[in-house]
Amino acid sequence: MSAQGPLRRELATLLLAARLLGQTLAALPGSASRWPETLQAVVQIGIGSLPIIVLATVFAGLVVTNEISWHMDQALHTVSMIPGVTGQFILRELGIAIPALLLVSKVGASITAEVGTMKVTDQIDALKLLGIDPVKYLVVPRFIATVIASACLTLIAISVTLGCALVIAVIHHNFSVLEYLNALRPYVGVGDVFRALLKGTVFGAVIPVVSCAYGLRCQGGAEGVGSATTNSVVTSTMAVILLDFLLTYLFTSVF
Amino acid sequence: MSIAFWEVSKAFGPKQVLENVSFDVETGQILFILGKSGAGKSVILKHIVGVMKPDKGAIIVDGQNVTRSDADGLADIRRRCGMVFQHPALLDSLTVYQNVSFGLRTPQFARTLKRPMTEAEMRVRVIEKLALVHLDADVLDRLPQELSYGMQKRVSLARTIAPEPRYLLFDEPTTGLDPITTRAVNDLISELSRKLKVTSIVVSHDMASALEVANRILVLDQAKVLAWGTIDEVKRCDEPLVRDFLSETLGLSLAEAR
Repeated sequence: MSAQGPLRRELATLLLAARLLGQTLAALPGSASRWPETLQAVVQIGIGSLPIIVLATVFAGLVVTNEISWHMDQALHTVSMIPGVTGQFILRELGIAIPALLLVSKVGASITAEVGTMKVTDQIDALKLLGIDPVKYLVVPRFIATVIASACLTLIAISVTLGCALVIAVIHHNFSVLEYLNALRPYVGVGDVFRALLKGTVFGAVIPVVSCAYGLRCQGGAEGVGSATTNSVVTSTMAVILLDFLLTYLFTSVF
Repeated sequence: MSIAFWEVSKAFGPKQVLENVSFDVETGQILFILGKSGAGKSVILKHIVGVMKPDKGAIIVDGQNVTRSDADGLADIRRRCGMVFQHPALLDSLTVYQNVSFGLRTPQFARTLKRPMTEAEMRVRVIEKLALVHLDADVLDRLPQELSYGMQKRVSLARTIAPEPRYLLFDEPTTGLDPITTRAVNDLISELSRKLKVTSIVVSHDMASALEVANRILVLDQAKVLAWGTIDEVKRCDEPLVRDFLSETLGLSLAEAR
């Protein structure tokens, strides 16, 4: 088979994702009637993803603080800037990217598998025939839920990772909690938290839209659902990394 | 006439699934579409409700061209059509009651009824439709995954007939069903046609059911119409595939089947 077929399919799916994003945003004002289901999805996605995200960010925080402090100690012979450097790294990258990538593999994969199964078992066509718009019924609640959950999980991940960095600094480098916070304050501010939230929200918007697009274009039974899920995770991961770069570039060059 | 296909062609990439397919169905008639797997039978149904668009040709439902209809026009056509899919296509997260009553809660149905249906009316309607497909009210609160495949198909059928559509499109309705339920489904199709003048198009491999309930039969092979007409006209057809279908079903030799 030529490479053109899969490439064309991927492009068509990305175009569908872009169209879905537009349709979802347009449908948001009328989505109030489905708040119970949306709230349930927020809890399901948020609480369901919390343990794995906390666990991952705890270890990421410990590893990163250890690495940064070791390098500072070796190269600069000082550890006084550990709070500032780790704080900035956590608020700008680590505390945002880790939950987003975990949401891709946990929530995004689940959305694609669910919507894909609905597609190959004619449930989507059944919805259309019953007069229900699949975008409003399937995409919008998942979009709202993932955006809210992603923003909350980003804040939690940042807090947990910063907490771990503080613990390492206190135990290994003899900082007191007050010293750590005083050293952190000049480097991070409310603007950093706002930018982190914005990034988390954007990632939370992209993941369900890309995942639903792959699910809605799924074909060919169980094998098709598996293939769609894999492609969805790969594309969403790439989208998160690319958007992370673009937003970081935008924040550092404009703000 | 109520549904007509005019010279409809459709291809998926290099694979031609329909080629110049034409037929029509009068109000209250039952058309069976027969053919081997992959012959394009289900694609015909999806074209009627506008889920798929043809590459060429026109599909007319009640004088309305499906291919040229906008979103409102399509919604109007779909409101008049009910479709039973090859898979049960039940919504996994909803109970049997919620699945069967799903179409009764839509704004389109409320517009048809000129008011929203009350919960009590819905419950009566759901139980009535479940009884038609030989299911008791004790399945109402069960989830689809707690039912057998045959029961899921019957719930799907009940969901389709709950809003009482004028056109019923069946995609292999009796596949996976036991002979008694198959008989009940065939009787239901006949009864809806006879009493309520519901027009039905049934995609099937089952020539026995076709001979029992169809007014007209269309046989498809390799994207083309092999035979089209009344049961007697199709019985007289010389195409080998049609003869095979007939002889398999009637248990007769080719010569006897003539």
